Amino acid sequence: MSSLKELQDLIQEKYGIPSSELDPNASMREKGLDSLALAEFIFEIEDKFGIEVPDDNPNIDTLAELAALVDKVRAAKVA
Amino acid sequence: MNAVVVTGLGVVAPHGDDPHALFAALMRGESAIRPVFPELPKPAAAATVDFDAARWFTKLQLAGVDRVSQLAVAAADLAWRDAALVADAVAPERIGVYAGCGMGGAAALETAYRSNNGRVPPLTIPAFMPNAPASHVAMRQRAQGPVLTYSVACASSSLAIAEAAKAVRNGEVDVAIAGGSESLIVPGVVLAWQAMQTLAHFSPNEAATAVRPFAADRSGFALGEGAAFLIFESEDHARRRGATMHATLAGWGSSCDATHLTKPDVEGQARALRQALKSAGLQPHDVGYCNAHGTATRIGDTVERDALATVWGDALDDLRVSSTKALHGHLLGGAGALEAVITVMALREQRLPPNAHCAAIDPACALNLVHESGAQASQLRAAISSSFAFGGTNSVLLFTR
Repeated sequence: MSSLKELQDLIQEKYGIPSSELDPNASMREKGLDSLALAEFIFEIEDKFGIEVPDDNPNIDTLAELAALVDKVRAAKVA
Repeated sequence: MNAVVVTGLGVVAPHGDDPHALFAALMRGESAIRPVFPELPKPAAAATVDFDAARWFTKLQLAGVDRVSQLAVAAADLAWRDAALVADAVAPERIGVYAGCGMGGAAALETAYRSNNGRVPPLTIPAFMPNAPASHVAMRQRAQGPVLTYSVACASSSLAIAEAAKAVRNGEVDVAIAGGSESLIVPGVVLAWQAMQTLAHFSPNEAATAVRPFAADRSGFALGEGAAFLIFESEDHARRRGATMHATLAGWGSSCDATHLTKPDVEGQARALRQALKSAGLQPHDVGYCNAHGTATRIGDTVERDALATVWGDALDDLRVSSTKALHGHLLGGAGALEAVITVMALREQRLPPNAHCAAIDPACALNLVHESGAQASQLRAAISSSFAFGGTNSVLLFTR
């Protein structure tokens, strides 16, 4: 299961950026999601999925990478 | 000496975001003070801003930006546009931001405290910090010179303006964006101000007229929120680029009572008033209007009157006085800047906004108040705007046509 679609929906809802404008493999920073906005976005993700994303992933730059991390945390939670 | 002139005005205030419309509303005596937070144990009133953040920010840009910074960015941008400053006209490192803010992002703190699941938004600190408004203004206008915040309670933005004027006069910057913002209308802060016993009492349905500066029946102020910024540059710089000059900031004075944290002091205020006159090279009789600090507290208004009487002497009867806080509330850190804009508008329009809601003047506040309908002032050449802060710091700005 991939969280990508849900993250895309959340970005659209929260920041008004449609999925067509944010290539999952492109840098989110270049789209204006800087480190501060990303911190807030991860907070929203945690609320939405009831998970805790570890804060030792400073290199995440694309939505696909973020989705993979969320997948991993959600899978660990289920297990 | 090269004069410091005002070339741009921007407001995001309880009376809207157009300085002309704001001034017209004040001339009509329209109060923006309304009841707020009916759930609180004691009735509360405030003047709030009808603000559409989407005009200034994308949703993404709003991440971690408290309302106090949003209002500041909008007001500073309006001032910048009013000054007709085009991109690249001024080197970014020659632009400074001088912003007053008394408290910072109250809404961010309140949200953090009230989060019901114990989870605090990660950007609470950068949203709350009192220098955030100045930084957001700097990022928006690409100001890379001095970007400074003055947190001196009710005198914050008046002092920010005076400091900006000094920087312009000393040649430290070519353009100064100066003013302030405050946005404290959240239940926790309103409760704190109620506990301070300085807010006006009012009967149901009478919130709009609750603030009555210099009146016998005055009982304090109402909180207001908003932001106001002005663009300052040297007269030479303004002339070279063909800018409209709204007014000259001819003088300023600042002093500290150094007597008590919250009790105002006649001599302390008089020192700031004298210094403003001296730095402008003017005499009391040259000044036709005073936009008073006038918080409508029992002690504050009489002390302010006595300070004016001490300095103005026989010329006091010719000084027209009004406190517009009766209509827009007390913007605290933003008050000095909003009232500076109103003072500049009075000079431009040669009209004086009323001292509203004063049916019977307190004999201890004997001043030549501008009555309810406002006044024409075709001879007005110079006007002052006073701001006296908790902490004892006093600031007076003196504008001329």
